Amino acid sequence: MMTLTSSKDTGRRDPGATGAPGAAGSSGAAGGKPPRGRTKPSGGTRGQGLVAHIFLLPWMIGMVGVTAGPLVASLVLAFTDYDLLSTPQFIGLDNFVRMAGDERFWAAVRVTLVYVLVSVPLQLGFALFLAVVLDKGLRGLSLYRSAFYLPSLLGGSVAIAILWRQIFGENGLVNHVLGWFGIELGSWLQDPSLALSTLVVLNVWTFGSPMVIFLAGLRQIPEELYEASMIDGAGRVRRFWSITIPLLTPIIFLNLILQMISAFQAFTQAHVVSGGSGGPLDSTLFYTLYIYQRGFVNFDMGYASAMAWVLLLVIAAATAANFIVSRRWVYYGDE
Amino acid sequence: MSDLTRRSFLTWTGMGALSVAAMSLAGCSSGGSSGGGDSVRFAWWGGSDRQRAYLAALDAFTADNPEIKVAPEFGDYDAYQERMTTQMAARDVPDVFWIPSPAVLTYRDAGLYRDLDGVEGLDLAAFGADQVETFKLGGELNTLPKSIFSPVVRWNTTFQEEDGVSLPDELSWDSLAELLVDYAKDNAGGRKGTTYGPYHDMPFESFLRQRGEDLWTEDGRLGASVDGVAAWIDWWEKLRLAGATTSVSEQDGIEPSWSSVGDKVLLTFANSNHIVDDAQAFPDYVFDQRDVPAAEDAAAGYHFTYYSRFAMYSGVPDDRVAAAAALMSFNLNSPELLSLVGLSAGAPPNAELLDAYEPDATPDEQKVIAITREIAGTEQRPRFEAPAGSGSWRDLMIRELEEVTLGQKRVPDAAAAFVEAVEGEIAGA
Repeated sequence: MMTLTSSKDTGRRDPGATGAPGAAGSSGAAGGKPPRGRTKPSGGTRGQGLVAHIFLLPWMIGMVGVTAGPLVASLVLAFTDYDLLSTPQFIGLDNFVRMAGDERFWAAVRVTLVYVLVSVPLQLGFALFLAVVLDKGLRGLSLYRSAFYLPSLLGGSVAIAILWRQIFGENGLVNHVLGWFGIELGSWLQDPSLALSTLVVLNVWTFGSPMVIFLAGLRQIPEELYEASMIDGAGRVRRFWSITIPLLTPIIFLNLILQMISAFQAFTQAHVVSGGSGGPLDSTLFYTLYIYQRGFVNFDMGYASAMAWVLLLVIAAATAANFIVSRRWVYYGDE
Repeated sequence: MSDLTRRSFLTWTGMGALSVAAMSLAGCSSGGSSGGGDSVRFAWWGGSDRQRAYLAALDAFTADNPEIKVAPEFGDYDAYQERMTTQMAARDVPDVFWIPSPAVLTYRDAGLYRDLDGVEGLDLAAFGADQVETFKLGGELNTLPKSIFSPVVRWNTTFQEEDGVSLPDELSWDSLAELLVDYAKDNAGGRKGTTYGPYHDMPFESFLRQRGEDLWTEDGRLGASVDGVAAWIDWWEKLRLAGATTSVSEQDGIEPSWSSVGDKVLLTFANSNHIVDDAQAFPDYVFDQRDVPAAEDAAAGYHFTYYSRFAMYSGVPDDRVAAAAALMSFNLNSPELLSLVGLSAGAPPNAELLDAYEPDATPDEQKVIAITREIAGTEQRPRFEAPAGSGSWRDLMIRELEEVTLGQKRVPDAAAAFVEAVEGEIAGA
């Protein structure tokens, strides 16, 4: 049975933690008294801690200097009028109020929500389908796995986005194939009703990453469950819905969270495919693309920072909502 | 070190981070000394050919001036602007830098330019006092033209001969439209008259000036009227609806890449320098260029020569100013630089330099020189640079053009929306 293990399950403890079993020099443990306050680590433990901290140092410097610092700075800037060139002016909540009346902001919200709601389920469904197929013990599995994983590495790249422009152009591969069936279309990227769908397809095509995770999850499902169900007469479909899916729900949930966050932050594809405009008619104006336009084209960095924080809060809320809802459909083996 | 606890480690880490942050803040608040050590930082944009050409030119400069090191900073046009924006925010601007056309006054308002009047080592001897006066922005000599060019109509003479088309000596907007519609109907190769090109900024500006309007006014506003913008879009729409232009779908957007449409049309609007690189994309064809059409009632002095500018950063340390000035002089006056970089970025404003280069110019460069001289000899009323906040005006134009071509808006409504949006951006800057 697939279970999520924790330090509680394994009995492992932080050697320096209060009341750690077997911790040497535990001052409070002498005389049978319960430990109180901080346990003094031994020299050896202290040395290990020092080494650990030294190894952590590059990450901590990066975290403080490259992530936490700009994060705090952007929070401050969200409450300012800042054009990158002059001193930021504190304007309170004006940037957030402006968003309510900004048509392009709402267009960006709409485009991003459609993209997340359509592309993520499609991508996960496709990834799961192929993972199940590959889990059947095909010859050359590692080759297929690598080949299918490749788009995940390339999908967010500029080169693939440019390729997409060619494929979905008026004389591109897609229209060429559709032409065999008598379907004549113009450039998909210049049609507001089709442009976003090309980016959805691009995202679905990068199914390799969730597929590999699904494959790992499938491998952990005990074979005897399938054997027992087969003895009871369960067919393939029944086994899939009654064994595979329930036991895979923690992995589905993990992939859902990862891909949802990634989809909310999609940028490169829309930037390259639309030439940075989010067109035609804002049909590919992803939220992040609009943040970029406000910040780096219009020098409206205060507003862009406010938008970035709204996105962060929306992602946090969506993630929290998923965690709450997950109690109803995600099945952990130890529950 | 053996006494280092987690608490003291975190304390030291925090202090270190604070120090780094404090140093960064100090860097921001110091008014911005230019980085790069002893080197003069030089920033420009373009394609890989231009990058190579300028790197060779910079090598030549350092060979002539061994006491001066140059740190090149190159980027694609869009990437260049993004990097400059970030560098401006950090007050870490290159010492000598090219200025994108929408950003001339934005950079000025941000205090990026050093006053070049009387800067030691800056050689402006090739320019007359009157000419130097035309370089000034708001009465200050804070930028210089690195190159000059003008809007043109560029046509494919190979197609012209194949299809038996003759371009009249006097070309008006109406006669050109008629010619393009007829050409698209009559030519046997299924070619179009031109690309759908109302996004072209310089022909648009010329069109407005012929109406007596300006793209930008002296006091930093949009000079184009709703009627002027509507007339421009309308001229293009009539062509598009008559089948004289490539469709938006065919050219894959309002702003097509030349390489994808260059062999599908008889002519296109362009800047006079573009022929140098664009002709190389289609080596089987020969191109030529001429002045843009003129309305029969065109306002006097509508012609203009665009100055593509460069500047010295205001934060250049005093002890590096002479070296930066020497590099600017090299850009303005060096025959060696011109022989290496050619005219792909425009003709040099230094007339003597251009005269000296002419015998070595390629056939396409000869065409750049010819139109540059022709336009320079015309009466020109002043033109004004794009004000701060107007940097996205072409994006706003493209969005309105999308609305029109997709049938979502009528031309007058799109023109009004464009004017309102640009004025709003300028007001908000």
